[in-house]
Amino acid sequence: MLSLLLIIIASLFFTGIIIRTKSILSGRKGPGIFQPLKDIWRLFKKGAVYSNTSSFVFQIAPSIYFASILMAILMIPLGGHQGIISFKGDFIFFAYVLALGKFFMIVSALDTGSSFSGMGASREALYSLLAEPAFFILMSSFALLTGYTSFHEIFSTLHFGTYISYAIGALAAFVLVIIALIENSRMPIDDPKTHLELTMVHEVMILDNSGFDLGLILYGTNLKFAMYGGLIANFFLTPSYEWYFSIPIFIGVQLLFAVIVGILESFMARFRMNHNPQYIFMLTSISLLIFLGVLLVLGKIA
Amino acid sequence: MTNILLIIFTISLIYLGVANRLKSYIAVISFQGIILFGVAFIELIEINWLNLVLILLETIVFKTIVIPYFLNYIIKKNKITREAEPFLPDFLSVVIITVIILGSFLLSNTINDPKLKKIFFVVALSALFTGLYIIVSRRKIITHVMGFLVIENGVFVLSMAVGNEMPMLVNIGILLDIFASVFLLGIFVNKIGDVLKEGDVEHLSKLKD
Amino acid sequence: MIGYYLTSAFIISILLFFNKNLKVNYLLTILFMILQWGFTIYEYNHKNITDLVYFTPDSLAIIFLVILSIVCIPAFYHSHIFCNSTKEIPYNRGIYFAAMVILLTSLSAAYLSNHIAITWIFVELTTLSSSALIYHRRNSLSLEGTWKYIFVCSISITLVFIGILFLSLAVQQSGGTDLFYKGLFSKAAGMNVFWVKLAFLFIFTGYTSKAGLVPMYTAGIDAKDKAPSPAAALFGSVLMNIGFIGIFRFYEIISATSILAWANNIMLITGVLSVFVATVYMLHVKNLKRMFAYSSVEHMGLIMIGLASGGIGRYAAILHLILHSLAKPALFFQMGQVSRIYNSKMIYELGDYFKYNLTGALVLLYAFFIVTAMPPSGMFVSEFLIFRSLFESGNFYVLVIILILLTMIIWAFGKNIFKMLFIKPVGFNDLNVEKISPVESISQFVLLTMVIYIGLNPPHELVLLINSAISNLPH
Repeated sequence: MLSLLLIIIASLFFTGIIIRTKSILSGRKGPGIFQPLKDIWRLFKKGAVYSNTSSFVFQIAPSIYFASILMAILMIPLGGHQGIISFKGDFIFFAYVLALGKFFMIVSALDTGSSFSGMGASREALYSLLAEPAFFILMSSFALLTGYTSFHEIFSTLHFGTYISYAIGALAAFVLVIIALIENSRMPIDDPKTHLELTMVHEVMILDNSGFDLGLILYGTNLKFAMYGGLIANFFLTPSYEWYFSIPIFIGVQLLFAVIVGILESFMARFRMNHNPQYIFMLTSISLLIFLGVLLVLGKIA
Repeated sequence: MTNILLIIFTISLIYLGVANRLKSYIAVISFQGIILFGVAFIELIEINWLNLVLILLETIVFKTIVIPYFLNYIIKKNKITREAEPFLPDFLSVVIITVIILGSFLLSNTINDPKLKKIFFVVALSALFTGLYIIVSRRKIITHVMGFLVIENGVFVLSMAVGNEMPMLVNIGILLDIFASVFLLGIFVNKIGDVLKEGDVEHLSKLKD
Repeated sequence: MIGYYLTSAFIISILLFFNKNLKVNYLLTILFMILQWGFTIYEYNHKNITDLVYFTPDSLAIIFLVILSIVCIPAFYHSHIFCNSTKEIPYNRGIYFAAMVILLTSLSAAYLSNHIAITWIFVELTTLSSSALIYHRRNSLSLEGTWKYIFVCSISITLVFIGILFLSLAVQQSGGTDLFYKGLFSKAAGMNVFWVKLAFLFIFTGYTSKAGLVPMYTAGIDAKDKAPSPAAALFGSVLMNIGFIGIFRFYEIISATSILAWANNIMLITGVLSVFVATVYMLHVKNLKRMFAYSSVEHMGLIMIGLASGGIGRYAAILHLILHSLAKPALFFQMGQVSRIYNSKMIYELGDYFKYNLTGALVLLYAFFIVTAMPPSGMFVSEFLIFRSLFESGNFYVLVIILILLTMIIWAFGKNIFKMLFIKPVGFNDLNVEKISPVESISQFVLLTMVIYIGLNPPHELVLLINSAISNLPH
């Protein structure tokens, strides 16, 4: 319950902090932290426009997408407190619920019949496809390390004993940050600011959505960011911490994550579109190294 | 600590598959020199100090500073274009290098030998085959030299694995590392620039039957 | 003694490098030859006495040291002829002879070394010095040859080093602390077989670049093609011997372990593949010099087959190597005359050699019979013994394959040589043909006659040396 609340609160600030960081780094004052939220609220008050050629899939997709993210958030634990849903193998469920939402977004993009939307959908599908093995290998390495298969148990038994496990933890955090960037279509992979359809990925996929639906999608992105932030924060939380320790740590990690994303977006150029696949696949390679490192910790190899 | 360094070394190998500028290659090679410095320092701290100083100097001076500087100089002097120009797409390179790492891991797991430091063995084999892969899959002569340097780094890691017992082998490896890489390949690429104008391996295909 | 030898050879090469005077140049090379012969005779009389810790003149080393000293005389002689005919500037001439002296010296030291790492260092030195020889002409083709040679050799030398590292792991487990061949041999039985296997694979593959065997043979071909003929003669004989010695010394260690049969199989396969590759290329090669180079690949393949089949084959292998390193230089020396007459090495542009250079043509004809092992040739004896050992070890299929391949090689060799001797060249202007003195061919006649003599009537002393060289191998 606690984690759901915290993540929703974090989601309110997240995009604002990113935008604020970027404006400060580029020497501007920038909008207030709640500006993105105000934009979304404005969208929520509007009605949606649907094209004649699109079917019901296009209309239900944003809701399913949003619901899938909420569902995934329910599974995130916080230190000793488990998520609202928690069972063995829930990290697989987590990944597939997110994939379900993404699937509907892709189908709805195809449903519009616009060639741009289809192109964006294809790119988005490719990048998620490449990022998925990284997430699975990463989580299964930790499952192997702890001997448990649910988020709550993995994170509550995960303790960094030897120095090599710190290295593994740092690498895992790095991989998760990049996965979060890919899943949320942020900078080195996709540029949310671009307005040229040919170079857009996520933005072009939701080109035909409007009003309430668009608001749902945008807020879903915020939630997703906060969700990954929460997942990363769990690396730094142990069940022995009381709530008055774990909540500040959680908020600190979220803040740091948002600032890092802002810094990355200010200082990095976007990768060339055809270079993206290999950079994303590199995550899988690094996850494999983490897996080998776990084997090393467990003494499976000398 | 060495384990962490070696894992970072392996990540730098994966990065070689993605990198598409010669500058990044040079940066990776230089970075590997620093890592090897750390590994050598931790692993060989017990051998006699003169030997240790020699090895550390080699890693920090030659592998990290001189050779990368020299490569940079060659690229500038011969006006070599900055792209690496692989024959295969980078995506495939990353996949192949990952497969190489996994393969050497699986291979080393079949070995049942308590004396062997397996992680050294895995990393060394990966570097060796990655270097060979870079040599066969890149078009420019200078990238061949870089692939060779990666192989040399792998050999250095391997010699660390036996270095405690036989420091002489590490020394010999270093001697020829300096010899082969700086003296020969470096000067040679200079000459290639003079005669061929373009450091491209496709100009070197007249000798055949 | 070896200390004095190495220092004085080094001083001579430095003097050669800086010297600009032709007479002094002659004098210095003669001085080096005297030094080389003095050293050879000294080591011959001090057999098996370790010098400077790392050098022991054992039988194998003595044999090849003598061969080297024999071959180096005509090599220097023809080098002078070559440099005079191309009117080299003193600077290039200096580099050429300095590199040659370094090459010969490091080869001698590598033969004598009794430590696996010392052999390795001197082998690397041979790569360096021979690359200076290959690059002698300073054009883009010789640059390409040099680049490929250096690159392949550097990689293979790295492979050898990796093999040595694996070997050192194996030695430590069996309680050894050093890498002297003798120590390795005595500890061989207790080594972990897995590491020895890996070490063998790496070291063997690495040395094939020097020995001119299958995986890495390409480097040697380009080197022999692009180097001046006298240098190519050295590459085709004494330089290949060092590859063989590297393999042979490690093979001795292997022979004391349980993987001898496995290693034999690998060597047999490599040998057959080498002969096969040589056949394929000799059938469609267009460059006479490259054909000679491929012929070396074929002979090294036969030698590996002989070594791997055991029994009399080991004796035959070493005998064959000795004969090959006497016969092949003769061909390359003659090649120098050919390219001076025709300014070309392409078979298409050569021909009617009897008309332009009678003695040279006789040498080629003579050498054809020797190198393809027609009966008066000593190589006939050694090849026959190799076939016998193949037969005795039960490898009939291999024998049949080899005989078929050799027939094709003789055909290809003969086709090209006879085209060169009797058929008119295409588009060759014979107005300004250089007259070549018959004196220049004497050295080749001497070398080729030695092949017949040693093959048919091997001196007693040589037989003893060969037998003692292979005495470490199990019977």
